[in-house]
Amino acid sequence: MKIVFVEQDRCFGCRHCERVCAYQHSGNFKPEDANIKVSVDSEKMTLSNMTCFQCETAYCMEVCPTEAISIDPDTGAKLVDPKRCIGCRMCVMACPFGNMYFDTQRHIAHKCDLCGGEPRCVEFCMAGALHYADINELAEIKRRHADRKLRIYAIAEQEGPGK
Amino acid sequence: MKANAIVQNGIVKTLCRMCDTRCGTKVYLRDGVMVDIRPNEDNPVNKGHMCTRGPAAMDLFYHPDRILKPRKRHSDGNFSEISWDQAMDEISARMLKIKKNYGARAMSTWKGEALGFFQQEEYARRFIHAFGSPNYFSNDSACFASRYIGYKLVNGFYNSFPELESADLIVLMATNPPVCHPPFVSEMADAVQKGAKLVVVDTRFNPIACKADIFARPRTGTDGALLWGLARHLIETDNYDHELVEKYSVGFNRFAEYARQFTPERVTRETGMDEKTVVQIGELIARHRPRVIFYPGAGLEHQENGVNTIRVMTALMCLCGALDIPGGLVLNEGLDRRHLTLYDEIPLLDQNPIGADGFPVLYDLRKECHTMTAMDYILGHGEYPLRGIVMTGANPAVSNPNLAKVIKALSSLDLLVVNDFFMTRTAQLADYVLPAATFLERSELHCYSKYQHVALSRKIFDIPGVHDDYTLWKTLADRLGFGEKYFPWKDEDAVNQWLLEPTGITLEQLKKHPGGLRYKPQRYRKYLTEHLPTPTGKIEFTSNYLKEKGLPEIPEYVRPRYLGLQEQYPLVLQSGARKPLFYHSRNQNIPRFRTEFPCAQVEIHPDTAGTLGIKNGDRVKISSKIGSVEVEALVVGSNDILPEVLELYHGWEHGRVNWVTFDRHCDPISGFPPHKATPVRIEKA
Repeated sequence: MKIVFVEQDRCFGCRHCERVCAYQHSGNFKPEDANIKVSVDSEKMTLSNMTCFQCETAYCMEVCPTEAISIDPDTGAKLVDPKRCIGCRMCVMACPFGNMYFDTQRHIAHKCDLCGGEPRCVEFCMAGALHYADINELAEIKRRHADRKLRIYAIAEQEGPGK
Repeated sequence: MKANAIVQNGIVKTLCRMCDTRCGTKVYLRDGVMVDIRPNEDNPVNKGHMCTRGPAAMDLFYHPDRILKPRKRHSDGNFSEISWDQAMDEISARMLKIKKNYGARAMSTWKGEALGFFQQEEYARRFIHAFGSPNYFSNDSACFASRYIGYKLVNGFYNSFPELESADLIVLMATNPPVCHPPFVSEMADAVQKGAKLVVVDTRFNPIACKADIFARPRTGTDGALLWGLARHLIETDNYDHELVEKYSVGFNRFAEYARQFTPERVTRETGMDEKTVVQIGELIARHRPRVIFYPGAGLEHQENGVNTIRVMTALMCLCGALDIPGGLVLNEGLDRRHLTLYDEIPLLDQNPIGADGFPVLYDLRKECHTMTAMDYILGHGEYPLRGIVMTGANPAVSNPNLAKVIKALSSLDLLVVNDFFMTRTAQLADYVLPAATFLERSELHCYSKYQHVALSRKIFDIPGVHDDYTLWKTLADRLGFGEKYFPWKDEDAVNQWLLEPTGITLEQLKKHPGGLRYKPQRYRKYLTEHLPTPTGKIEFTSNYLKEKGLPEIPEYVRPRYLGLQEQYPLVLQSGARKPLFYHSRNQNIPRFRTEFPCAQVEIHPDTAGTLGIKNGDRVKISSKIGSVEVEALVVGSNDILPEVLELYHGWEHGRVNWVTFDRHCDPISGFPPHKATPVRIEKA
């Protein structure tokens, strides 16, 4: 299945993915409404961008007592049905990655729903860091860059130090 | 609001004008109503992606507060709606009265950033010269133009722009591209993935600094010292492009002589950075040249020494050999289109354009009159009176420094006309407010010199009673008697056609290719066969042109003024760090935008806040020698900002930073006010 994945080295933290996700789901731009999160730590100087991995064995779904989480037959996304959600927060606790969130206004869980197969975060990623594709494409992208870096390294080795 | 769409159902490809980047967009219409805006894949700028400002054009277009009919202010201060014809009759009559009483040069035009680009600017320039006054003003005497003046003074090209995607080292100087210029981020990411190194030089932390190999933090306004130190490093270690320097430049010896004083110890003393970092950056440059790019932001230019800092930076790229090569500073060529300006036909130099004496380079190179000096002229302290302004899309009652003076001046004019979408702070001071057309209601030519690309934005809607800029200037020109001669075109389409005629590209072609067309292939190292467009035809490490104007020929470093005033004003206030969603003073009236940024907040270091007993969320008062402003405190992380620096966004209507900023101590070359170096105090309100 296709998922939203991040090329972390392309993400510079503009947060347009968060904004457009919040907009798509609430009509506003509050980062807490977003189903994708850019984490920035200015002390440690770290930056990462994460959203739901749409796990094959989805703990959030397995743990839900009301079967409020189901699989979208078209995209494979794990979807939260807000009508069935009782706000027990179990899914937030069960997700090993912190990609389930709790809406403190509506008192229900929310997560990435892949926008029905046209994820807007990908469209609004100006850096081209977000993709909607099979995860093996990420592996391929990484191999491509690794190859390039290896070649640069090899040239540097040949030319010797100080070059 | 009645809006007639050109297409009832479907998609129209056009360009976004929610900021200056002008990404390609697709506007989705259903039953004549705009329902979505998405990126256009055919545009080379945004390549199928866009930012969140884009779709908010719907909020702007359908905003309930939009001005749809001309308004006239009465003596009691209240406005009433009047007809377009009455507005045009009365405005033109008052302009003629000013001309009769004080001469044509007592009238002026002023363009801002809200409405359009080339045409908006060139209409205003054309109109005022046709009227007989040399006084064209714009936001460009306080922003944006300075870095281009800096480039131009060294290599002759205004349009130089770094080719980010193929650089081996990118040095960001006081800029935050993910927020300021989102499309360039993808080009930077390409470079980084190919192994390019990244250096971020900034007083503030931005997330992009997490990805930097070196994050350097010189004191506000001391970037020039750092750059001189780097120039010295390259020269002393004999790590510069000898061919470029010997064959294609002038002034290198004096430049190198001046650089000698910027030892790592001196740079450390000026910038507050540690010595090791200075040397490390120097070594990175030496290792990665020639493909070394310095990319400057407004942070450099809003300083007293702004242009000279940009000159050193440009000179550094030349030393690296980065001039006009792939992955270097590319000398982009413009489109050989026609221009609407009348500087050859009606130069009016004998009419003393306002500011041309004080800031001769700004006027000579940009034909910009100086808005800060304009306030003196309005208040009777100039060589002659300035009594009237017609403004389009400008908001100086928020954006110009020394607001008390700006508001006093604008309020005392005989005629202030403001053409805008909303009752801005400036519109509230106007005698007449006119309904302006958004970019979705007009067709305009856009050149992207970085990509040597031209595109046409489409008129998608027509709102009865709301006129585009061309109609405004033409209608006034007709009433003033010079319409037939200087504004003969029927509409914007006819203007665009005329502008394009010498280019060989037709309007029809551009309509067929909404993503635009490349007007010239990129050529590199043009200086090998052609003279650079500088006075000497070469790279100018020193400028005789500046010397003749009484300005330093070497891009000298001058220590910022605030550093000498720290006893009385211990902190330095920076304004102007961009915010996503907002565009200068624009978009604050879009309610959903305020969900991310509800109110004006001044960023303050936790140690500084702690010493002063200021807690997050407290009301604080910031005071300078000329005024004060009250806002909320945002106590940021200890690595987010330097302890002596405060940052307050420049566009807030409530909590206007320009109550405390100075219209004096401007950069002597560009005339830019020192928006990023105001000496201040802060206390709990």
